Amino acid sequence: MLSASKRIPSVAPHRRPIPLHRRILRNWETYVLLLPGLVWYFIFCYMPMGGLTLAFKSYKANLGILGSPWVGLSNYEYVFNDPAFFQALINTLIISAVRILVEFPVPIILALLLGEIRRKGYQKALQTIYTFPNFLSWVVVAGVMINVFESSGLVNGLIVSLGGEEVNFLSSSTSMFVLLFVTNIWKSAGWSSIIYLAAIAGIDSEQYEAATIDGASRFQQMIYITLPSLLPTISVMLILQIGNMMNAGFDQIFNLSNPAVEESLDVLDTYIYRITFQASADFSFSTAISLMKSLVNFLLVILANFSSKRLTDNGLFE
Amino acid sequence: MKNATQNVSTRKKKREIDLFTVIIYIIVTLGALLILIPFYNVVIVSISPMVEYTRTPFLLFPQEPTLQSYIDLLGGGSIGIGYRTTLSLVALALPINLFLITLTAYALSKDTFPGKKLFILYVLITMLFNGGIVPLYLVIKELNLMNTLWSVVLASGCNTFYLIITRNYFLSIPAALRESARIDGASEFTIFLRIILPLSLPILATIALFCLVDRWNEWYNPMLFLRKNDMKPLQIVLRNIVMQAQIATSGGQSGSGAADLAQALKPVKGMKMAAIILTMLPVMCVYPFLQKYFVKGMLIGAIKA
Repeated sequence: MLSASKRIPSVAPHRRPIPLHRRILRNWETYVLLLPGLVWYFIFCYMPMGGLTLAFKSYKANLGILGSPWVGLSNYEYVFNDPAFFQALINTLIISAVRILVEFPVPIILALLLGEIRRKGYQKALQTIYTFPNFLSWVVVAGVMINVFESSGLVNGLIVSLGGEEVNFLSSSTSMFVLLFVTNIWKSAGWSSIIYLAAIAGIDSEQYEAATIDGASRFQQMIYITLPSLLPTISVMLILQIGNMMNAGFDQIFNLSNPAVEESLDVLDTYIYRITFQASADFSFSTAISLMKSLVNFLLVILANFSSKRLTDNGLFE
Repeated sequence: MKNATQNVSTRKKKREIDLFTVIIYIIVTLGALLILIPFYNVVIVSISPMVEYTRTPFLLFPQEPTLQSYIDLLGGGSIGIGYRTTLSLVALALPINLFLITLTAYALSKDTFPGKKLFILYVLITMLFNGGIVPLYLVIKELNLMNTLWSVVLASGCNTFYLIITRNYFLSIPAALRESARIDGASEFTIFLRIILPLSLPILATIALFCLVDRWNEWYNPMLFLRKNDMKPLQIVLRNIVMQAQIATSGGQSGSGAADLAQALKPVKGMKMAAIILTMLPVMCVYPFLQKYFVKGMLIGAIKA
């Protein structure tokens, strides 16, 4: 995006200098077109950003954000003395790390497999099935998954009919931890595989023809031609996911969890939500954590963008 | 046996290809089944009489299918409120989404004008950094939007990611078209409405679809901003139904009369599943036919992003 604007030559000053106010006047229509968007961004993005000053204030409802008194870093003192905060931070990092290890490879493998399906009609049908859950909200998916895994649900029905003991998946924090990854793969692996499938479709077919003549099997072609061709896409997606580490999946955890496992699955976002809207509603305190989380997130994304540029010559915002 | 091995050695290559293909077909088909079975189970539970379901949770098809759960659910009235609220939200939000996205994207796709880079940065920064939920909540409160549909509609008025995709599409339209219209004396508004928009129907359809699904699935903002019972959108109605059953059962497990309680709650389960079906029904009906537009939109975004 930024480089796109670079490509357009700016008005060369030596050729015919037009005064700034004339240029602004000449483009008045453009500014009119921009206005609604600018106003929207101001009210719903920049005003809340300004509201982040609450992190250094003590919020008083009657005084508003601007009028509330400054309290320096005392909100952070409070945050760093709360063991639940550290628990949430650790949980966030662990869940994000396991997501990268366990969830990240699945769409790649799926794309490799789907790419081998030569009957286009069947491939399209499979693709429709695999990508569909992505377009449901986590409210719906959580409902579906709770139905499948609850004590009298489908999975337990299967276990019992095979002669096993009923397992209470939803009230054990270990099985819920595993379910986080299972259900997220179920919901979004198909959709994430689309981008890899598109990359596979772009591979030069001559490579496969040459390999076939050389006697390479289709499995060998998959490993030695398809997979390496996917590496640039894989690295960009990996970097993106690392940049997103502070978000461990609020929608999912919030909708799947229940009082029995709430505490052990607490991540930063659920923690922020809890201290904001459920307990004694301390807005300054939760804003302090929000601000910290946003800053770390921001740094991670900048870092991700930088490494993506180094690796592929493509920034994430090109 | 001997014959078989001979066959393998003479037609080794062919066999190998077949085995590989067969394995892949089996894996992807099983995977697709794993996606479908939970949905199928939801449908089955929603149309099973609860007596039959309690006996065999591992049910392929009920002997006496019934729509009782749906009748009970619709009789409760909350689903009706949910549909009404969600449809109003979509009707209000979709035009606003498209208006803000296309207008801003068009202005930012124009040739250089003073401040262009600054405005692009102004929009992009919001992708990297945001105020988080508390300040937004307070802004909504101070604008007196709480408990009005406008709170949800305006809070998600524009989407930076869709804006970038749309802008990329506008940039791909030859600049000569705009310039010649400009020479003919057309205003920016005319160019936007008469030239750019008609040429951008594919991307407009895609963006509209994405916004539609987003609005349909939106639950977090409504949960915070719409506190009155008579204006809960569908997702929140569903969430409340699922949560009630969930809390009731997990509370019951520790109690002494757990079995009795669970038994008493069984009818709730059919209703819960019926609510899930009714919530995802529109997406489910439409998705298979429009899938290619979603994919196209995602790829347009991915090429640049």
